[in-house]
Amino acid sequence: MIPDLLAGLQAVFQLQVLFFLIAGVVLGLIFGALPGLTATMGIAVLTPLTFWVSAEQGLAMLLGIYCGAIPGGGIPAILMNIPGTPASIASTWDGYPLSQSGRAGLALGVNALFSLAGQWISILFLAVAAFPIANFALRFGPAEYFGLALFGISLMAGVSVGNATKGLLSGMLGLTLATVGLDPMTAFPRYTFGRSEFLDGISFIPVMIGLFGMAEVLSQISERHGQPQPLPQAMGRIWPGKSEWRQMSAPGLMGSAIGTLVGAIPAAGGDIASVIAWEQSRRISKRKKEFGKGSLEGLATTCAACNSAIGGAMTTMLTLGIPGDAPSAVLIGALLIHGLQPGPLLFRDRGDFIFTIVFIMLLAGLMVAIVGLAGAKPLARTLRIPDPWLWSGILVFAIVGSYALNNSVTDVWVMFFAGLFGFLCRKGNIPLGPLVLGLILGPMMESNLRRALILSRGDWTAVLSRPIVLFFLVATLLSLLWPFLRSASSLVKDKLRAKNSPPAH
Amino acid sequence: MNQQPASPSPQTTVSLRSRVDLVIALCFFAIGLYLAISSGSFPAGVGPLPGPGFFPRVIGLCMVVLALWLLKETLAGKQVATFSIENRGPLIGALGLTFLYLIFWGSGLFTVRTAVFVALLLKLFNQSWKSALLVSVVLTFAVTLGFQFGLRLSLE
Repeated sequence: MIPDLLAGLQAVFQLQVLFFLIAGVVLGLIFGALPGLTATMGIAVLTPLTFWVSAEQGLAMLLGIYCGAIPGGGIPAILMNIPGTPASIASTWDGYPLSQSGRAGLALGVNALFSLAGQWISILFLAVAAFPIANFALRFGPAEYFGLALFGISLMAGVSVGNATKGLLSGMLGLTLATVGLDPMTAFPRYTFGRSEFLDGISFIPVMIGLFGMAEVLSQISERHGQPQPLPQAMGRIWPGKSEWRQMSAPGLMGSAIGTLVGAIPAAGGDIASVIAWEQSRRISKRKKEFGKGSLEGLATTCAACNSAIGGAMTTMLTLGIPGDAPSAVLIGALLIHGLQPGPLLFRDRGDFIFTIVFIMLLAGLMVAIVGLAGAKPLARTLRIPDPWLWSGILVFAIVGSYALNNSVTDVWVMFFAGLFGFLCRKGNIPLGPLVLGLILGPMMESNLRRALILSRGDWTAVLSRPIVLFFLVATLLSLLWPFLRSASSLVKDKLRAKNSPPAH
Repeated sequence: MNQQPASPSPQTTVSLRSRVDLVIALCFFAIGLYLAISSGSFPAGVGPLPGPGFFPRVIGLCMVVLALWLLKETLAGKQVATFSIENRGPLIGALGLTFLYLIFWGSGLFTVRTAVFVALLLKLFNQSWKSALLVSVVLTFAVTLGFQFGLRLSLE
């Protein structure tokens, strides 16, 4: 392990890798700070730029964007009450009131510092927990991988809050798209409609660029309302005082722990983590009443939670090959292009690369905090860039980036139609996360199930009765039933409440 | 005298919302049915082993069941989806321009095509000609420099 660690360290401290990392962090902060531009969009649109460089350099840029965009999203949340990324929704609840009370600088400082704390704690978790998880996963055969993929897909229902059916349908659509191309076992062409371009399946990156880049631009065009809010004139001090540190440290730690665990759940990202952390911190706080009105504890816990989800998501993605959230789903595509398949084998064969990722993320977190603290004011100025300029830029990058993948116009059309489809899905309240999950896990589920059946000579009971498979099957059943159990339990509670409440006179 | 636009009655809103979910449910039902039926034409597996049609058939059947469930929820009034597209002019204009830009991909110079596309797009979003031209030139230059000269990718 030590040689791998040293090799990872050596790979990071190369001038070119550091250059790509700095570029990624700055781009990530800008992407996050501009409302509507998300980490997923940034990674998806800029992934094609990394094809011509080494895996380390490409990953440095993409991880820089990932680690920069989430704290960057806190800047408009604090200054304008508009979350820059979905993960910073909860930061508006206390960040904006703080900014309104003349403490915008302090709120931006808390955002930068607790983003660093959240990221580092979760990366520590990645470094410590990932190797044992991957070692355990090395025991998995095709049957276990089938069970794992099935469980990952079943989580779609649980994370599609209030939309369990549509979430599952969206996931099914992702699985459907994953069947396009040559059958993995018999090489029989499926749903290619006679076009040779689809024999290798639908390119993943153009679909991602369309769903998260072009669709977002179209959504913003259709929802544009008036002029943006003005920025606060006075920023005030940035660095928190001693008593403020004391006040924020426990909620910050709690947010980091919650964020890491929630982030590790497939398809549950920083947005869910920060809301849960805010609610839990409010419950145990001595200053409950301040929450939602400019509480430093509230802001610290949400900033730590949404950033620590990054390490959690990366742990699941790297060890099991299942994306923890949308940005890590796009990162899987980027890794595959560089010939690196996330999963336990990556830990066995390329331990040095895992440490490279860990060190890149640690450095990215530090750079984000430095830029966030020193450059909070210039970053706030990026909020003044007119939206139409950004839309045009993203559209052009999305088109050229999709083309750059294989010099293929078909990929550009795939991106265009994926964008249009993604836009319609957003409008129809159909979550896109499950679709991505289905697209990634579909091939894993199908090929492993069929491989397992070949090994067992077609005996289904031999496949499904293996202990780990059985565990995943039970977990799948529970996660599918969870939304229904939850609504049934709230129905019973409501009925009991109605029964016990005194009749109105 | 200015007349205030009439707001839609609650009845209209509810029926519109239901209609959207109804369309979504029917679309998924159709896709599921297509998958389930079309997978029947794929070769069968060897012996007890599933063939290439097995997985699409299972997905199709699951999709049909889920679409019927969504249909039931919609008709029972449990599913409510809002579907409002504002700023339709700029949206359709942007989509149309992008479509035309892709149709003409490969014909003419990339730089000229892209600069014209960006300038027209920005004009569509009510930017002044001056800023539209400036941004289009800078953006085209940056993309050409990055992809064509930096990454040595042919964009023509």
